Amino acid sequence: MIPSPEPADPSSPRFSHPAEEAFAKILDFYGIAWVYEPRTFPLEWDEHGVTVEAFRPDFYLPDQDLYIELTTLRPELSTRKNRKLRRVKELYPEINIKLFKRREMRDLMVKFGLYDQAAGIEGTQAQKPEGLLRKNAQQNAG
Amino acid sequence: MPNKTLDNYGELAAGVREILISEEELQRRVHDIAGEISRDYAGRNPLLVGVLKGVLFFMADLLQALTIPAEIDFIAVSSYSPESRQQGVVRLVKDLEIPIDGRHVLFVEDVIDTGLTLNYILRNLRIRQPASLDVCVLFNKPNHRLIDIPLKYKGFDLPDRFVVGYGLDYRERYRNLPFIGLLKPEVFQSNKG
Repeated sequence: MIPSPEPADPSSPRFSHPAEEAFAKILDFYGIAWVYEPRTFPLEWDEHGVTVEAFRPDFYLPDQDLYIELTTLRPELSTRKNRKLRRVKELYPEINIKLFKRREMRDLMVKFGLYDQAAGIEGTQAQKPEGLLRKNAQQNAG
Repeated sequence: MPNKTLDNYGELAAGVREILISEEELQRRVHDIAGEISRDYAGRNPLLVGVLKGVLFFMADLLQALTIPAEIDFIAVSSYSPESRQQGVVRLVKDLEIPIDGRHVLFVEDVIDTGLTLNYILRNLRIRQPASLDVCVLFNKPNHRLIDIPLKYKGFDLPDRFVVGYGLDYRERYRNLPFIGLLKPEVFQSNKG
């Protein structure tokens, strides 16, 4: 049961985190097509069938048929996201999804010469900004 | 003879926390790969193509270990950076000097992780109609892969860690370590490199 794609506007997405914007710019540089948050995957429903928890991967690469989720959360803070990702794989085994964890994000930034961003990830709690927390809360509420 | 420890490398290894793949292991694997290539490409005079600069060490050792005639050439591509991004998309900054149409080309790469750069280069090379085009990579980071690329020869699968040595750098340092190592976390925290 894959929900219908929700329309997205890749020409002017409002990124929830600077790391997402940096990632999009890297993809653009290498000519890789991407869409930002094109689809929401319901994970839990209440007794009326209303979605009470959902997951929306950050990127979709159509040519690779691959969803990408980025996180800069410290491992001890990312338990909930890991659980959601496991649930997505259980409910939608036909989709390909890849998680870039905090350290992998740092390494990616280093690889592409974004040393300031890499140092920022390494040196802070790197929690997502308030805006994103609000977004997640909205997703959780269905 | 036991493998060397970090202490054996002195100042060269300052900032390195741990040896992940020793000098001896690297050389053994490179010779194994060279043996496979020598068998597969016998009588085909392959052209080994590498992308500067990280592949220099691997290319040199691999070429010396081949037991068949082979040629080499190099290309260079613009790296992603905030500055290069202003100029648009990735591009060749040094092209091949040897024509590859009708040649058996083996693309030699030090490390593949996302596959973004390699994907661009292979697309570029395929247009030139080589007789064959395959990939030989020494270090594979499969967990970082965004673009699926078939690898004909592979040296090592690496864990999800930022590694240095044997051509792999951090801010242009550590390339000349003869082993693969992990850096201390404080190296990343210092923006002064």
